[in-house]
Amino acid sequence: MSRPEAEKSTQDTRRFVSMVAAHQGWRVIADAEFLDSLVEGLTTNYNRYGYYLCPCRDTLGSREADRDVVCPCEYAGPDIAEFGHCYCALYQSEAFQVQGGEPRQIPERRPQD
Amino acid sequence: MIDSIEFTHEEGSRKQHSVVVYALSTCGFCKRALGFLKNNDVDFHYVYVDNLPADVKTSVKQELRERYQIRELFPTLIVDESKATTGFDPEEWQRQLGLA
Repeated sequence: MSRPEAEKSTQDTRRFVSMVAAHQGWRVIADAEFLDSLVEGLTTNYNRYGYYLCPCRDTLGSREADRDVVCPCEYAGPDIAEFGHCYCALYQSEAFQVQGGEPRQIPERRPQD
Repeated sequence: MIDSIEFTHEEGSRKQHSVVVYALSTCGFCKRALGFLKNNDVDFHYVYVDNLPADVKTSVKQELRERYQIRELFPTLIVDESKATTGFDPEEWQRQLGLA
């Protein structure tokens, strides 16, 4: 697996997730400690694999195999619509956040290989 | 426990069960799960699967699938080498560990 030419910092990743949330009309998780752990996880994955692999999923070994779970993953929209947040809880709906919802681990929507 | 890999041991006073957790170092729910066990003073072993060499990781996932008939999701809790629970649900983990 190829490593990225330029490593990302946690500030880079924070900017990335904020841009994704703004573009999609989602909110970023408000819990600062949880957010920090996810940002660190995403940064680790970028610097390890060369792309922002979802921090709560393990790689299947290549960018091609992982393409559906590169952040924001293909399942984030349906998960946010159904549960109020995505699989790793990074992105949330406005309603979920306004209601003070507590993220819980949700079923894996990704088809089993 | 799978013999071929090295687990980290967290000492706790609750030793009624053998408790093993397969986790990802990058995952927020995995961190919460490990914190839950520590806060409940559970004696347990864990491994960050994403930090294992690729060939070892492949065999670990295969063993989890075959031995416990589960899909490899993280965190995975194994109690007494017989009961497997995927994902962190505090109430379910309490039940599995007899903490409820």
